[in-house]
This record gives sequence, C-alpha cells and structure tokens, in this order.
Amino acid sequence: MDSGIFVYREEAAASGTGLLKGRTVSVQAGLSVAGWPAEAGSLALRGFKAIEDATVARRLREQGAVLVGSTRMSELGLGLRDDGAARAVTAGLADIAMMTDLVGEARLAAADAGIIGYRPSYGLVSRYGLFGLIPSMEAIGVLSRSAADIAAVMAAVAGRDEKDFSMPEEPVPGFLDGAGQPRIRTLGWIRESVAFLERQERQAFLLALEGLAKAGLTLVETSLEEFELFRAVHQVIGSVEASSAAGKYDGVRFGYRSPAAKNWNEMYLKTRGEIFGPLVKPYLFQGAYYQFMKYGAFEKACRLRSHLIRELQRLFGQADALALPALRAGFDPREAGSVSALYDAFLFTLPASVAGLPAVCFPWDDGDPAGCRAIQLVGPRLGDAGLLALAGQAVTNKTKES
Amino acid sequence: MQYEAIVGLEIHVELNCLTKMFCDCPNRPGDEPNRNTCPVCLWLPGALPRFSREALEKAALACLALNCEIQKRSAFDQKVYYYPDLPKGYQLSQAHHPLARGGWLDIADEKGAPKRLRIRHIHMEEDVAKLIHELEGRTPVSLVDFNRAGAPLIEIVTEPDVRSPHEAMEFIRNLRTQIRYVGSSECSMETGTMRVDANISIREQGSSAMNTKVEVKNMNSIRHLGDAIAYEIERQKASLASGEAIVLHTRLWDPEKGVTLPMRGKFEGPCVPDPSVPEIVVTGEWIARMRALLPEMPALKAARFQRDYDLPRELASSLAGDRELSDYFEAVSRESVPPRTAAHWILTQYLPALKERQLSIAASPVTPGRFADVLRRLEADEINAASAREVLARLFDTDESPDAVIERGGFRQVSDAASLESLVEQVLGAHPTAMGDYRSGQAKALGFLIGQVMQASSGKANPKRVREILLSKLA
Repeated sequence: MDSGIFVYREEAAASGTGLLKGRTVSVQAGLSVAGWPAEAGSLALRGFKAIEDATVARRLREQGAVLVGSTRMSELGLGLRDDGAARAVTAGLADIAMMTDLVGEARLAAADAGIIGYRPSYGLVSRYGLFGLIPSMEAIGVLSRSAADIAAVMAAVAGRDEKDFSMPEEPVPGFLDGAGQPRIRTLGWIRESVAFLERQERQAFLLALEGLAKAGLTLVETSLEEFELFRAVHQVIGSVEASSAAGKYDGVRFGYRSPAAKNWNEMYLKTRGEIFGPLVKPYLFQGAYYQFMKYGAFEKACRLRSHLIRELQRLFGQADALALPALRAGFDPREAGSVSALYDAFLFTLPASVAGLPAVCFPWDDGDPAGCRAIQLVGPRLGDAGLLALAGQAVTNKTKES
Repeated sequence: MQYEAIVGLEIHVELNCLTKMFCDCPNRPGDEPNRNTCPVCLWLPGALPRFSREALEKAALACLALNCEIQKRSAFDQKVYYYPDLPKGYQLSQAHHPLARGGWLDIADEKGAPKRLRIRHIHMEEDVAKLIHELEGRTPVSLVDFNRAGAPLIEIVTEPDVRSPHEAMEFIRNLRTQIRYVGSSECSMETGTMRVDANISIREQGSSAMNTKVEVKNMNSIRHLGDAIAYEIERQKASLASGEAIVLHTRLWDPEKGVTLPMRGKFEGPCVPDPSVPEIVVTGEWIARMRALLPEMPALKAARFQRDYDLPRELASSLAGDRELSDYFEAVSRESVPPRTAAHWILTQYLPALKERQLSIAASPVTPGRFADVLRRLEADEINAASAREVLARLFDTDESPDAVIERGGFRQVSDAASLESLVEQVLGAHPTAMGDYRSGQAKALGFLIGQVMQASSGKANPKRVREILLSKLA
C-alpha cells in the first residue's frame, strides 16, 4: 500500500478546528489509535488492534489534526529498516509524521530525508498508548518540513497526563509564543564527538556550523572526555529495559503463536523464539544477559548515565545549545541490521536519548554534494521551543539564500 | 546433640484498598473471573502503571503499626520471571529500596516472658494473576483469572529471631491484631489475605552459625504455620542425624498428611529498577500526618483499660485486641454501666451470641445503647442474670426496646418481700429434709433450697433476696 509507506489509511478522516486545523498527521503503527491495526512492525503483535487512543492521538484530534493513517515501522520501533514515517512527509501524504525515537530514529529518518526531525524533552509528552521498548529513553518524535508545524504539534500534545505518572510536574515551554524560552546565542560543539568523524566529514561539519553561526551565533568549542560512553550506557540500559518491556510478547493473548508446540511451556519458548527478528532478538538477548548474568555492569551503566547527564549540564553552562553531527558517511541508518551497526549509525543521536534532552535535526546544504547534509542541535531540558525556533530560522535562511 | 531452630518469616498481606495498585480497577479478587481488569492490569501494549495513593497510605499505616521507619525515598523494581500468572514477564516490587525498615513486635514466649522480634523491612508489591487448574472432560486445563493481578500487597520480612513454632504463631497473631487495628487488611490466612512463608534452619545450641535454610509455604492457618515449623525442625534434625546435608530448597506444607514436601528449586530472577513508576518520595510532614491517623494501638489501649476502668489485665487485653470490640465496650461503659460488668458480659455473652449468629459488631442489631439498657436493669436488680441472658437473645430478633421485651416477656424480677416470703414458706414446707440438713451443718442444702424457690417463681425471683429470706427463716 502506497509503496510501503502506510500499513493503514483512514479514508474518512475529517478535520476539526484548533491549532492543527487542516493539518494531516500520520502516526506509527506502534502508537494507539482506537480500532486501528497496531502491529508495531512485529509478529508479536500480528492482528492486534488498538483498544483506546494514545493521549497524543487524542490531543492531536482535539486540536483539529486529521489522522490519516499509520506508517510502516521497523520491528518495535528499533532502527529504521522498514520505516515509512519520513516518506509519508516527503511524498506529500502527511504534513506531519509522529515517530518513536529510541536511539535517534525520528532525527535520522528526517536527516536522511531532508526534513526536520525533533525529539522532545523526556517527560514532556505522555507515553500512554505508545508501544514502548525502552521506557526511560523513548520519546514520541515529530517530523515535518515546517518547524512551525512541529511547534504547533507540541503546543497540542505536550503537558501533564494523568495516565502517565512518569511525567514530572513542570511548566510546558511556550511553543507558540516562545514564552520563557531565551534565544540561543552561543552554540557549543564537542571536541570528542567530532573526533569520530573522518577528516573530510569533520571539516564539512565545522564549516556547516560556521555557516549556521552567521545568523548571529557565537561558536564555542567544548569538551566531554567520556563522550564515547554514551554508546555503552545506551546499549546496556536500553537492552535491559527492552528485555523487560518485550516480556509481554508471548503469543498467549495476541499476536503470532507457534503452532509446533506440544505443551504450554514449549509454546512460550517456541513462540518467543519465532516472533523476534534479527535485530530485536539479539538486543533482547543482550538485555537478558545483563539482567541475569552481569547485573553489576547494568548498575555501573546507571551510575555512568547520571555522570554523563551532569557532564552535559556542565556544557550548558558554556553554551546555550550543543551542535552534534547527525549522519555519518559509510553508516547508513536505514541499512543497520545488527546491534553494533545500529549503534554505529546512531552514535551522535544517543546523547539526547540517554539524557532525556530535546534535540532537533534539520537539513543543511552547502552546495557541495560531499558536504554536511544535516545538523543536530541538543538543548537543555525543556529548552525545546528555543531549539525549534533556531532550526526553523536556519531552514528559512537557507531557503532564501538558494 | 542439642539443636535450636532459627526461623525468619515472610508475610504477604493483601491491602484492602478500593482499587488495584497501578490502575483504577476494583480490588475485589473474588468477583466473577476477569471482570475487574483493564489495559493496565492486563498489561496490554501501550498501558502505563499509575501508582495508587491509597495503596501507599494503607501500606504506610501498616508499617507504622509494626513500628517500622518509613523511608523518605523508595522505588519499584521489576522482579523478572516468566510464568502464566505474570504475562508481562515481571512483577513490580520494591526489591532495592523498600518503603520501610527496622520494625519490631513484642510477644510472650513459651514461659510468658516478653520477647521482642525484629522486622527487617516492609516493601510494597503487586499481586499476580490467579491460576486455576481444572479438567475439561479429561483434558487438564489451566485458566488465568486477572482479577487479582495488580492487587496491592505488602511483604513483611522479619529478622531470623523466631526460635519456636509458638513464637511464630504469637508473632503472626500480634501482627494481625496490629494491622487490623489500622484498618489496612483483614489479615486472614484462611481466606488468603495473609500468606506466611517460613525460612527455617537449625544449629547447635550455643552456636552463632547461620546454616542453610529451607523455605516452607502453603500454610493456611496460624495453627498450620506452627505445625509446619515444628515438623520441619524435626525433619531437619532427623536429616542431620542420618548424615544428610540440608540443601536450599522450598517445601510445601501438606495439611492432610501433616508433612512438608519438596517443590521446585528456588528460582531467583533479577530485579531491575522500573523506569515507568517514578521514585516514591515522601516528606517528614507526610509521615507525621500518617502517624496522626494511627488509632490508639492495642498495647496502650489495654494499659488504659486496666488503669481507667480498673479491669483485670486479661479482660483489658481481650477487649483491646479488637478495635471494634474495644469501641463497643467503651460505648456500653459510657451508658452508666459499671465497666467490669460491661467487660464481663461482652466477652462471655455478647461475643458468643454474635458468633452463633455469624454477625459482625457493625451489623449487630444489639447496639451499645440497647445492650447497656439490659445491663442497667440487671445492675438495678430489676431482672436477674438468667433473664438478662434471655432478654439479650431476644434483642437479636426484634426492634423493640429492651424495656418492652422485659415487660412483655414478664422478665421483671420478683423482689417484694411478701411474695418472696410466701414462696419460701411453700418450699420449706415441701422440703423438710433439706431444712434439717442445713440446720445440721450441711451448707450446700441452702443452694438446693434457693434453686427450688427460683423454680417456683419461674426464674423471676431475685436470688439475693431469696437467700436473705431463707437465711432468716432457717436461723
């Protein structure tokens, strides 16, 4: 259906009134919309239909958005192998695409497609109705050509939900008027992050930052010595949480059930052996390994995570926002089929996931085909609106230049 | 060789909250199967747990009742295991950061000496679904009832301070009294709102070694708990005597055969912090507010009853051990009934009457006011004890006032001297032998004569006055 972009389309959808009046929005097949098929790209959920609306889906409709259908996704949202969300936007089938961001999927899907992809601060958007995989590091991301549309979506969906107790009580950033959001004046880049780029790539990235700074930003070089640890920390904690979160997929109450088993114990084992694909299965194995065999390593990862969060806070004392690369030459995020390839390709989007920080990727074009294609900005907690404003301004300026 | 037993208890108590621990479903596990469920307690994809404030408050009251210190920060972990009663693959429990630590309860040991048993910690957790194994025709089937999934529990873990079956039973009785008092649970082992597991090991008397322990489960009464511990101690002694080592495992108590039998090897899954239930942070103020909600607890109340109502210790603690009962006693006493009379009549007459009719105090038609009316008539010698018992029995079946029952039933006792004297004359005339016996020094003949007069009056004569009159006639 639609070249593999959608798994379900709602033909009769009509627009309401509100902030998102007339805007078409797609969701992923792992975000609940009552009555829609919701298989989350997984055999484990084969034939499953959502029972109720996710809080996000309800709030989108309340503000007049037209939910046009659900897009194909990679298994349980991990990685980008089969994802259709960005293409729903580039093909003009949706103005806005909602998409889970675990390791950085929403941001790199957008970077790859030449549109804007944003991940909100953790706890700003209710996860109720999201078929999660990594509860402490997942967020519902937003993709669009327009930063203003993303801000309008956030104005509609952000804020406390009595169904998601993990959301802290804190003020919602002013997405429409920028209330309480200081302008970003200094932009930091992290020495140890660009060290992962090849020389030519590094130069292209720094050149792009200089181009971005022309709009009146001061560039600051910063240092985070343990930058490389984001990867191990995300992988250990992420796989452990995924191992627990996927525990409910056993073929008993929904989804595929192995027909070959002789008794229920065997049915569990065979079903779980057959429902997970080549990326998710080893990921769950890793998580179970840390849970059962190397619990100390998990505890250490949790301590390191706190340390890394403090380190990023320290950098926000030196710069209003941090710029990180997005895509890496030679590491296509859409092709990553193993756990290590996944973490290679998403290396630069991991810090925001680990630390629960807002981040946005937006397209960049220096006119050089070998140049930097996308820039990623990471902001302090709840600095979401400022980041989106800067991304929007950068995209507009580029459009004017060309 | 002389051995002593080292026993630690793990007690699961189901809190009597209105809702489950992480959703708004009714906390009524006994309803028709799978009625009280929702996406959260069925753990369907997309659902998130919402921790119940009521569960926290009831758990906190139970912790305070057991003299524990509430922790300002506690958190839920995922206890990971796979079983059909737990389809999400983990149980939410407080493995690393329990709600409360360091409590105690005082009991009386075998010799009646006071002994303090320590509580290591109390944590909250959700119950799992209930499995029902049945036959459909000849095919064995296992059914899952989710009504219990997510029901709020606390688990009380003691230090290994218990040394005998008697101490274990006393501890559990005392714990039940304390938790019932604060209203957090009924704590019934029979109906399953309290489950007690015992970890038992033995060692040479005087040694301080902690030897391999065996866990015993499946006792469904306090008596069975004592029996199972006693059996297990003897079994371990016999094992050692025959040169067998004790290995770590779990045994089930078989109440029919009165033995413990080995079950599956103990599986210890990992416990990882749960990322979706936020850390539970309480303030000192909140703890103080919970403490202020505590009622006067049984030990203090018993002491007050002894002091203020001049009750003997036994009566005072019997009354104070049950909150409703002690309230009833105080209500009756307030209606100008001497406390000793009230206490005695409540324990010996009123409670058995309730039990016989399977009534609770709250549901009983004999309110403190009506009961007090009967006891005041008794104190005023308007009715005698036998009549009072009969009037009390009738009050369970009628809305009439006690006075109306006394009048209608003709229970008012005969106290006027003329009528009683003529009754006495009649009886003495009919029993000259008894009269002679008494005069020749056989004191018990007096009792016989009083009985005869009472009978002649159809039980309505005032026995005190009868005795006086008889004595004056026989003198």
